[in-house]
Amino acid sequence: MIKVPTRILVVDDEKDFVQMLSLRLKEEGEKPTPAYSGKECLETLKNEEIDVVILDIKMPGMDGIETLREVKRRFPLVEVIMLTGHGTIETAVEGMKLGASDYLLKPADFEDLSAKLETARKRKDEQEERIRRAEARLLMRKVGEI
Amino acid sequence: MTNIRLLLVDDEDDFRRTIAKRLTKRGICPAEAGNGEECLAILEKKPVDVVVLDVRMPGMSGVEVLHHIKKKHPKTEVILLTGHATTQDGVEGIKSGAFDYLAKPVELEHLLGKIKQAHEKSRRGEEKLREAEFRARMEQQMIATKRLASLGTLAVGVAHEINNPLAIMKESAGWLKLLLKKEELAEMPRKQDFDMALNKIEESIERTRRITHQLLGFVRKSDSALAKVDLRGLVDEIVQSVNREAANKNIEIVQKVDHSIDTIWSDPYQLRQVLINLLTNAIQATGSGGKITIILEAIGEEVFLTVHDTGKGIPKEDLEKIFEPFFSTKSPGEGTGLGLFVTRSIIEKLDGKIEVESELGRGTSFCVKLPKQHQIKEGERVS
Repeated sequence: MIKVPTRILVVDDEKDFVQMLSLRLKEEGEKPTPAYSGKECLETLKNEEIDVVILDIKMPGMDGIETLREVKRRFPLVEVIMLTGHGTIETAVEGMKLGASDYLLKPADFEDLSAKLETARKRKDEQEERIRRAEARLLMRKVGEI
Repeated sequence: MTNIRLLLVDDEDDFRRTIAKRLTKRGICPAEAGNGEECLAILEKKPVDVVVLDVRMPGMSGVEVLHHIKKKHPKTEVILLTGHATTQDGVEGIKSGAFDYLAKPVELEHLLGKIKQAHEKSRRGEEKLREAEFRARMEQQMIATKRLASLGTLAVGVAHEINNPLAIMKESAGWLKLLLKKEELAEMPRKQDFDMALNKIEESIERTRRITHQLLGFVRKSDSALAKVDLRGLVDEIVQSVNREAANKNIEIVQKVDHSIDTIWSDPYQLRQVLINLLTNAIQATGSGGKITIILEAIGEEVFLTVHDTGKGIPKEDLEKIFEPFFSTKSPGEGTGLGLFVTRSIIEKLDGKIEVESELGRGTSFCVKLPKQHQIKEGERVS
């Protein structure tokens, strides 16, 4: 079976981390895109199709939680996995209440990350599928009305 | 008056005995010595507040004896007795540290007055010394407390800063391992060496990560979230999660639970951490075929949680140190030396107390006392 690459946006102000994680994800057959700030993350989402955002909580300027809020407001279908170096589960819980699909403690276990990426991707696919079906029903009804 | 410890030193027996008798009548019972050597021997054996010392003696002279006393018993005061013609000796004596001198023949009232003054000075000196010692001890404790507090602040900072480069290392090592598995590198020379070294790097990253995460766990002082905690359920859950580890070592875990315990107000995340730490410690300390007993009981407004193991026990000299940060008897890589330190900080934050009892070869008990209702302090929030 050919793996359909997940389009992943890696957001962290730590450039080396973004680079290395992207290389690894690419080697695993995914399609990563780098972003180094919350602003850049939103900019990229406007121009590119992205399935999952891996988002660092602690960033200078617009922090992770703020970015998450904006992402969920403007691109509600995009899934977000938070990366936190805090070790504070509270921030992560807050993020999940805002709509993040999951969180990971930094440095994260790659198997963990892979599993969470897959779940997030699935969630997005299913949601999109439901939207497609709802649209189809809507279309059918309109056709019936004619 | 009677509590002045006095020593009379004079080679003239008659004179000495007369003075001693008259002093005894006035409530001071002096010890007596006939020469300098005898005087020093007595001082070696028991403490003396005031020595009345004749300057002119065969053998060791009074001034020599004075030097010895001041050197070896600085708290003891010395009054010199001089002949009329030798008051110069007395002056020299004062320069060498004597309290004062009196010229023979002495008037008893005069001598008594001097003895009292000397005793007063010696007592004040001792008091000052005790006070200074007490203050030094207090200061040391303050320093230790402050050091722990600043250690906390420092620890979070360090842990934060280390986690980021650690994440980069981890991704880099992981990526290289992935590359080694590729077909294009199948024939790479000495591939096993690369694999081995990469594994070592990954293990070390994991070890470092454990330390930073535990440090971060300990310093979350201000943002603990209080909630109703079902202690019985929590204990059950943690026991389930460590059961496999225990079963591997053939250790039995027994729960003795007071069923009247309903819920308590506390921090569930932190309590979970405490329970995991205590139970994994117990499992590690207990040999094959051992038993771990968890006792949960309520007394008054408090709950007591005891984790008892039949392990090897903790030596007495280690018992005081086990709660200190970075104290560990496990080999490097196995223990961070932070488990019990974090455990105690959490419990104290939750207004509780942890105590340990241990007997070598028999086992160890950790007893945690927690209030049923945690008093909410400023900066805490209820969820």
